[in-house]
Amino acid sequence: MLSALILIPLLGSLVVGLFPDKTGKISRNLAIATSVTALLVNIYLGWQFDPSTSGFQFSEYAPWLEWIGLNYSIGIDGLSLPLVFLNSFLTLIAIIITDKSLARPRFYYSMLLLLSCGAVGAFLARDLLLFFLFYELEIAPLYFLIAIWGGKRRGYAAMKFLLYTAVSGILVLASFLGLVWLTGADSFAYEPLRGHTLSLNAQLLLIAPLLVGIFIKIPIFPFHTWLPDAHVEASTPISVLLAGVLLKLGTYALLRFGLGLFLEAWVFLAPWMAILAGISALYGASCAIAQKDMKKVVAYSSIAHMAYILLAVSATTRLSITASVFQMVSHGLISALLFMLVGVVYQKTGSRDVESLRGLLNPERGLPVTGGLMILGVMASSGLPGMVGFISEFLVFRGSFPIFSIPTLLCLVGTGLTAVYFLLVINKVFFGRLTESLAHLPRVKWVEHAPAFVMLFLIIAFGIQPSWVIHLSEAQAVALLTGG
Amino acid sequence: MVISPTKPTRSQLIEEYTQRLESGQALLQDSPQNLIEVIGVLKSYGIVLDAYSVNLCYIANTQFLKLFPFFKYFNGEINPKKFLRNIWHDRINYEYAEYCMKSMMWHGGGGLDAYLDTPEYRAIAYKVIKAKFKYNPLMLGLHKLFPDFLPELLRQMCYYSGLGQFWRVMSDIFIDLSDRYDRGEIKSIPDVVQHILDGLVKDAARPIIYKVTIRGEEYEIIPQSMGITFLMDTGVPYVEAIFFRGTPFHGTISYNAQAYQIPYDQGAFGYGALYADPLPIGGAGIPPTLLMQDMRHFIPDYLMDIYRHNIRGEGDLRIQICQSFQKSMFCVTTAAVKGLAPHPLDTTDPEQQAANRNYLKGWLTRLFDSQMITVNQN
Amino acid sequence: MAEFLLKTIWVAPFYGFLGAILSLPWSLGIIRRSGPRPAAYINILMTAIGFIHGTIALHLVWGVPTQKLVFHWLEVADLDLTLVVELSPVSIGGLELVTGISLLAQVYALGYMEKDWALARFFALMGFFEAALVGIALSDSLLLSYGLLELLTFSTYLLVGFWYAQPLVVTAARDAFLTKRVGDIILLMGIVAMSAYGSGLNFSELESWAKTFPLHPTAAALLGLSLIAGPTGKCAQFPLNLWLDEAMEGPNPAGILRNSIVVSAGAYVLIKLQPIFTLSPVSSDALIILGTVTVVGTSLMAVAQIDIKRALSHSTSAYLGLVFIAVGLGQVDVAFLLLFAHAIAKALLFMSAGSLILVTSNQNITEMGGLWSRMPATATAFLAGSAGLLALTPMGMFWTFDRWFNGSWDTDWWLLITVIFVNVLSAINLTRLFRAIFLGNPQPKTRRAPEVNWQMALPMVSLTVVTFLAPLAPIQWNLWLSPNTPLTQPNVQVTQWAMPLLVASGVIGCIIGSLIPVRKTWARSSNVTVRFVQDLCAYDFYVDRLYEVTLVAGVSLLSKFTSWIDRYVVDGLVNLVSLATIFSGNTLKYNTTGKSQFYILTIVLAISALLWSVVNSQWSVVTNYWSSLIQ
Repeated sequence: MLSALILIPLLGSLVVGLFPDKTGKISRNLAIATSVTALLVNIYLGWQFDPSTSGFQFSEYAPWLEWIGLNYSIGIDGLSLPLVFLNSFLTLIAIIITDKSLARPRFYYSMLLLLSCGAVGAFLARDLLLFFLFYELEIAPLYFLIAIWGGKRRGYAAMKFLLYTAVSGILVLASFLGLVWLTGADSFAYEPLRGHTLSLNAQLLLIAPLLVGIFIKIPIFPFHTWLPDAHVEASTPISVLLAGVLLKLGTYALLRFGLGLFLEAWVFLAPWMAILAGISALYGASCAIAQKDMKKVVAYSSIAHMAYILLAVSATTRLSITASVFQMVSHGLISALLFMLVGVVYQKTGSRDVESLRGLLNPERGLPVTGGLMILGVMASSGLPGMVGFISEFLVFRGSFPIFSIPTLLCLVGTGLTAVYFLLVINKVFFGRLTESLAHLPRVKWVEHAPAFVMLFLIIAFGIQPSWVIHLSEAQAVALLTGG
Repeated sequence: MVISPTKPTRSQLIEEYTQRLESGQALLQDSPQNLIEVIGVLKSYGIVLDAYSVNLCYIANTQFLKLFPFFKYFNGEINPKKFLRNIWHDRINYEYAEYCMKSMMWHGGGGLDAYLDTPEYRAIAYKVIKAKFKYNPLMLGLHKLFPDFLPELLRQMCYYSGLGQFWRVMSDIFIDLSDRYDRGEIKSIPDVVQHILDGLVKDAARPIIYKVTIRGEEYEIIPQSMGITFLMDTGVPYVEAIFFRGTPFHGTISYNAQAYQIPYDQGAFGYGALYADPLPIGGAGIPPTLLMQDMRHFIPDYLMDIYRHNIRGEGDLRIQICQSFQKSMFCVTTAAVKGLAPHPLDTTDPEQQAANRNYLKGWLTRLFDSQMITVNQN
Repeated sequence: MAEFLLKTIWVAPFYGFLGAILSLPWSLGIIRRSGPRPAAYINILMTAIGFIHGTIALHLVWGVPTQKLVFHWLEVADLDLTLVVELSPVSIGGLELVTGISLLAQVYALGYMEKDWALARFFALMGFFEAALVGIALSDSLLLSYGLLELLTFSTYLLVGFWYAQPLVVTAARDAFLTKRVGDIILLMGIVAMSAYGSGLNFSELESWAKTFPLHPTAAALLGLSLIAGPTGKCAQFPLNLWLDEAMEGPNPAGILRNSIVVSAGAYVLIKLQPIFTLSPVSSDALIILGTVTVVGTSLMAVAQIDIKRALSHSTSAYLGLVFIAVGLGQVDVAFLLLFAHAIAKALLFMSAGSLILVTSNQNITEMGGLWSRMPATATAFLAGSAGLLALTPMGMFWTFDRWFNGSWDTDWWLLITVIFVNVLSAINLTRLFRAIFLGNPQPKTRRAPEVNWQMALPMVSLTVVTFLAPLAPIQWNLWLSPNTPLTQPNVQVTQWAMPLLVASGVIGCIIGSLIPVRKTWARSSNVTVRFVQDLCAYDFYVDRLYEVTLVAGVSLLSKFTSWIDRYVVDGLVNLVSLATIFSGNTLKYNTTGKSQFYILTIVLAISALLWSVVNSQWSVVTNYWSSLIQ
């Protein structure tokens, strides 16, 4: 059953890629059908999932290349389930919001589904090498998605993305290989490797490349510079997936492998990582204030908010680990919503420049509903109570404060700054008199806003009922710390 | 080096518009598109003004000195259906008529304004108050305590009545204009101006009278003997107060006293219908939205079709109506300018011409900062 | 039935919220052909229902021991977040005050905003605003109160930004949000810390927690200061006071709420947090210092304002400063009475101001005059509001001060002097305003001024009546929070002289206020010093400029700097390092253990290096091909 989550998008990708289609309609519908099916399977699995126990469920195993220790071994637990959900959901959203008149639709949708397949495979893998393969698998389609359907400097951004993530992959792989080598294990299977204990020095030696690799992916200062470029050049649906899902591969790996495999080294390094998280949060926020491109503001905001996850994972309290998963979901939804809305503005006005856009709240000729949604999205991002951003951040801070007070306070300052940079953007772009040059914008249909409303609904629903997500991962978070 | 065409200077433009008026043209350029917009919007404006006028007169005649005029917008016809429609706000926005009336009263000017400060007015006002509250010692006591309170409300009623009567005439002129257009008698913007001018001239001396009846007895609050007339005592103050001065909109201007955005001198106000920026229409704090909303229900099909063809279709209808409305108001202004000119504008007598030029220059200088140039640009 | 109504009082916030939701079809522009008034009616109805529900509940809860409704919101790991609703005369009394003033303000808005087509949005925001306020009144949980304070910040932002196209509104809304947000974030820090120290985050548990928990003095001081920060922003206290001045760009009916019950909401939370402030003398001293600085500063500012709304709003900060002082002294009952008396009187003054603005299209008092006999409702409202605010006439504030200084509480000379200072300057300010607005000869803008319509006059007259009834509260029930008056050894001289001195100060203030020249349009003193002092106060001691050149410039500079660093240093450096890594990766040739896994490492590295080398040529060819197909 679990394999269906991987196979459906993979099959979908192949079918879409091979099925002849002139107008792009068929590809789009096929892609939507695929992702809806995947989402349904996901919901079914979520229904069957037992959140009260820890450990992998629905596990599947098939021997593969046993001579190198690689086996097809997948399973789902409380850490991965919310993220797998997020992936299926955002893939569907990304397909829906894709411009219908897009060039080369077959290739595009095929790549999009392949990307989704890669992400879900990485979340489900119970084998280190398998994880790595999926982790790498997702890079190629994303590279194409940016390089072909991107903005003006797409070549540069895509190449930069490729180089960074390739390096990230190599470092992660090096760490995995080193681990297997040093422990003398006979396979890359996750759980047996957790059982081994290495000396602190060996752990430090192995965790170092892993952390750098992951920090590139998340991204954490100073390895983040590929992200703003990638976001700015990527089209809206790709930004949604990038921010919503693909960055989570990094934080997921942080939890699963960083913390999961090298607990001692982790605790040793945690204070430094917490400080790095604080710096990264403030740095991202500070850069966001100076940006003139709306998408860059959201991108830097992403950097700042992802740092909270590093903080929470560093703190290694039961609460903070649970909160870190929740923050991943929260950030996934909120940043996806923001990228989507910036995309609408860009599509209608042809600009994302904070200095030239003005007065878009104008009810007759502006984009008032987009503006309203944007205000709510921004508030969600800056942690307005009643929305998911508040409670996830509160739990992160509350969970981390007893261990790392100062970095937590730094991150809290970052939260305060979130309001600053977003409000500057909102007040410049949406308030004031509509600029003459924007007085003839096309209308935004309600349908175009439907995905945003759905996401806003989820953001508010999880903000009011956070336990719906939290109870999925709590048991596993505890198990992660206690070695269960 | 390419010499780009320089922007015409202020004096050049004023000269250009002066010549335009002298040659019989209007402030608004004559074009088929403009004609359709002006006629169409004036048609719906005429219908709306009719409703406003009826209601203003109804309030003046029956709701005066009522502290709780709950049903003042019902025009005396109170039934459940109308009540529900009112609750649903499916009605003409009479608030806008009152807003115009209040601005007109606030800015003052003209014979009506002057009359309201005379002892004659005071005498009749006191009489009306005494009669109205004959059996209400509480109100009479209040009147003793605050002797200007009720007379001031009654002054407001005079404006209700005055504006109601003024709009009666204007409404008829605009409806008539539309009918003549439908019959093919109106072919250009100058024709429109001429029609309005004729209408104004015809009723120029029409007296403005305000009578109320209390318990069967009639009181002449504005008696005919005062000689308050349509054109000079309501028309000209109306144009001044509504077309030119207006009141600052909360939606665009700060009332903050220390920001000094609003001039001290009301004469320096430039917030009127000819000056207002149409783009914020429909937004918060922009009262003319109410008028545009009312007119949208009565836009003739030929104009509606044009509006629907624009990029936003009916989405920005109120802004489009406002833009057309501003055009039409420049036609009305042209008629007023022509009507009030010391000599016929097409005169050949050099002395008269000079007087006219002087007169026109005054108007055009004031109009220069209005939307006049913008309206003619597209 | 009765019990049911009491137990379900927790739904009270949802009335306002439901009203806001039901207004959406109009505010989103789904219903376009007919007007937005139904949204207004719905919201007024919802508020009325809330008010009636509250009245019944208040009746039931009177004289009954405090009850609690506990909702377990979230239990995760060792954290149990509960939301507690308190059923007591204080909380439900607060609810009544909020819904009552909100109801009046909304009816008032029906008149004030009648020609504004965005009525639905306005009323939706008012409903939202009210929901948050009602929630704060009922809440007994710090976390819930914090959340609601944040929602209040948000709705203040939207209400101040209501006229979003007006340039000064744009900055005012932003500043209001950010200023309050500064306080909120620091408050959140305190909450996080407190929760981490093991406190249950319920107000009623705070006292026992504060008594038993061994907290380091520094930590206690910092905790206290951080908890003060939130209310400081909300109550417009120094140094977070300037937003209230700017917020006056918003619609007046919202201003009525803002200057009466919204600022009170912040102070209400402060009162509930008072046990924490006993932990450290630093925090209680900070409260007193902040309060005093605000009292002095804003009183002076108020007197110099020529804008009617701003003259009144600065005085709001001053009275809230007294509340801060009272809380700092631990005299929460007095603080509560101060809030109550101030809220009603100030709401009334703002209603009066609103009708003046509507009638004269003007907020500049130097351009007003002679309105007394033409606007009786407005004029009496102004008089009654002033009387309720001054310790001169035996009304709300008089009796509140009386209860403060009658010997039940520990008071001192400096406190009396501070209160006298407020009273004198307030008296000067209100007298000055009254003279400028209502007396003298009419000016052009006040030449024609018919009284406002009934939608505005009715709430104004009703609240005038309420203001006259308000003294009942301090006279009858002067202890809302403490079970009994603390036993103190009053400073006899202070208690003896307090009320006579206060009344005398009110008289003196009125006399000064009626003697000082009221500036008539543009006529200003030619004395440079006078002008300087006037401007200094009128422009809020130029504190906003100070912030601009320090804080704002600092953040902006820092962000530009980091952005520059990001672009030219970090990006460049990391690009370089990552290239170097790839090259050096190739040379990673360790030993030759027979482990198959290790071969893979080298293989993959080699492939990666190969990949990288072909990347420039091969892959770009592929992408160029696809790109060329697109164009």
